[in-house]
Amino acid sequence: MGEVIVITSGKGGVGKTTTTANIGTGLALQGKKVVLIDTDIGLRNLDVVMGLENRIVYDLVDVVEGTCRIKQALIKDKRYEGLFLLPAAQTRDKSAVSPEQMIKLCDELRNEFDFILVDCPAGIEQGFKNAIAGADRAVVVTTPEVSAVRDADRIIGLLEANELRNPKLLVNRIRVDMVKRGDMMTIDDIIDILAIDLIGVVPDDEKIVVSTNKGEPAVTDSKSLAGQAYRNITRRLLGEEVPMLDLETDDGFLVKLKRLFGLRTT
Amino acid sequence: MDEANVTFKGSLHGLTIILKEEDGFESILEQIERKVVSAGKFFKGASLHVKYRGKKLSKDQEDRVFNLLASKSGARIKSLTEDTEEPPEAQNNISGQTSPRIRMKDYYFNGINEGVTKFYRGTVRSGQLVDFKGNLVVIGDVNPGGELIASGNVIVVGSLRGIVHAGADGNKDAIVVALNLQPTQLRIADVITRSPDDEKDSRNFLVPELAYVKDNMVYIERFLPQR
Repeated sequence: MGEVIVITSGKGGVGKTTTTANIGTGLALQGKKVVLIDTDIGLRNLDVVMGLENRIVYDLVDVVEGTCRIKQALIKDKRYEGLFLLPAAQTRDKSAVSPEQMIKLCDELRNEFDFILVDCPAGIEQGFKNAIAGADRAVVVTTPEVSAVRDADRIIGLLEANELRNPKLLVNRIRVDMVKRGDMMTIDDIIDILAIDLIGVVPDDEKIVVSTNKGEPAVTDSKSLAGQAYRNITRRLLGEEVPMLDLETDDGFLVKLKRLFGLRTT
Repeated sequence: MDEANVTFKGSLHGLTIILKEEDGFESILEQIERKVVSAGKFFKGASLHVKYRGKKLSKDQEDRVFNLLASKSGARIKSLTEDTEEPPEAQNNISGQTSPRIRMKDYYFNGINEGVTKFYRGTVRSGQLVDFKGNLVVIGDVNPGGELIASGNVIVVGSLRGIVHAGADGNKDAIVVALNLQPTQLRIADVITRSPDDEKDSRNFLVPELAYVKDNMVYIERFLPQR
């Protein structure tokens, strides 16, 4: 029996889609059979991030409306065995799907796949309700900004109201240098407010932008720090104990030298 | 009409014949013969590895099918073996040209040489769908995520970067023309093609191009003399 995990945030632009693509690819790399469902109907992106845009013939709305079978709409990833995408419709809106239909769809996919990752749209309206309807677990993505944390708090409340207990927190786009200077919220600040378990921290990484534009998830890039963070998160999702990534950036020779002599490096 | 009990399927590695299990061998043989003959010169000169799946055949029956194919098709048949490889699950979606069949109507729009036409002025942006039962002319660009569906021809006087479906109810003679033809996906009737994955088209100059279907393949060519 597969597990349905919804990836949500409330606020837009914090990295739900990137996270879905990376965790999904990470799980596929671990040999799991994974399907990613884009529920952002009308503003679909996951297909672009996965680099599968040009393969879409049928979509989520076609499936729930019975225009096609699920298998016809599933797009096989071009690189990884066992990774599939169910894209959202672009020319429709969120009301084209109901929570009941999502539950039915998730239940059907459960038999075929180990993991069903649902990429949730921003907001708390119909699209959000659809996305969480069939889910067993939730990952809440936030960035170290007051507004994103506020929205994440709202989302956690809504998840709990919908019987989705113990959501996991993923802090995205953290910048260690700014945290050190005291210009950015620390992980502890965020956990203090949200009071849920942390599943991982992903550093701000230029490579994410590059990989997103190329349609190749960063999780496959062994040199990328963000990729490493996503690999660890994937393993934690699978139940492994993985220590948190050391995000200390390489300070360079001069800074190390100064530190050696006991000089202040800030 | 029990044609569908024997299906020919071309693949990368040759030809696969799918046999319905409940059918008798003699009727299968007959149907294969009919199919091969109706294909005319299609197989002529080709050399093929042929596989079959579905019904199990005895060695003797295999030989008869082999001889039939060898004598009637005009192709050099190199081998005939049972295809034991299980088809990968859910694989038959987008990768092949023909696999995701779009349902076609029996009576399709026929006015591609002279018929009703819609003119659309402006940019078709992501999430917008322009469809028309007839020919469609867009004076403007079609961005990625935008979609054009017409039962006749589609002409884009601008860049076509979105999804386009010409002859949407089944007319394979429909064409797609654009000043800059770079669609995410191009469909004519039930034939689907997509842009290559790795090839980044870095042309800066516009070349008007025309897409049409021949033998269930989409061809794209310039229609202006080269300068």
